Amino acid sequence: MSGFAIDPCDQCEELLQPFLDRDLSEEERMIAEDHLTGCEYCRKRYRFEEQLRRFVRQAVVEPMSPELKTKLAELRTPLI
Amino acid sequence: MGETAPETDARRLAEDARDRVRFEEEALELADQVYRVARRMVSSREEAEDLMQETYARAFRSWRSFQPGTNLRAWLLRILTNLNIDRGRRVQRAPDMQPLEEGDYFLYNKLEESTQAPNPDEERVIERLSQDDAVSALSAVPHDFRDAIVLVDIGDFSYNDAAQILDIPVGTVMSRLHRGRRILKRELAERAVADGGDVT
Repeated sequence: MSGFAIDPCDQCEELLQPFLDRDLSEEERMIAEDHLTGCEYCRKRYRFEEQLRRFVRQAVVEPMSPELKTKLAELRTPLI
Repeated sequence: MGETAPETDARRLAEDARDRVRFEEEALELADQVYRVARRMVSSREEAEDLMQETYARAFRSWRSFQPGTNLRAWLLRILTNLNIDRGRRVQRAPDMQPLEEGDYFLYNKLEESTQAPNPDEERVIERLSQDDAVSALSAVPHDFRDAIVLVDIGDFSYNDAAQILDIPVGTVMSRLHRGRRILKRELAERAVADGGDVT
């Protein structure tokens, strides 16, 4: 960022997370959407962020072992 | 009202047993989802498995303190988080005040730079990340920030649920999430660029 005016791409970068979280005010959302309509640079980065979230979510899942599942079930209160 | 006292007691006991069984079944049905979060809150599978067993043992003992109709998964994770803190695994504090220069476009820019093709599309760019990169980058994010990411982005909890589970204000969840994601992206960039090798 240089000078005193806010670079619109910098502003759009700041809005990326709350935009995808649907956590922007109506006014901020319109600012982001207006900018995205005309800016391929930011559009690509927004699309990437969406894919990244999905990727991380899937990549870090490690299924629970069947042994642990059995152990948890054994912790149940025995039926008299 | 022809019921005698022993009959009333017997009925109450039967209802209690039925409620408990139902609670235990519901809690066990959620175990996979609880584990998904637990696994990424601690550093090893063994720790996560110990924590799960302690959590379920405590939950089954104190099932009466769960309010039916509220979020059982969040209740279980609240127990798990408290146990994790009690066990002293969380003594070190996150370097909260460390400046973070990288913004939200940092990872994309780094990956794009290291991609051979000019102006690649996002699919090509994301292919530069491996599953191992994601796992190790997430584990490198300091605890406080990682917990927020794990609960909201991996566990699908709302900000409010995450705030209750972690016993912190909603605003703190949001700021940790925001910053944590940026730290995660910085960690991913370091790994992907190191793997790629051809970066100038």
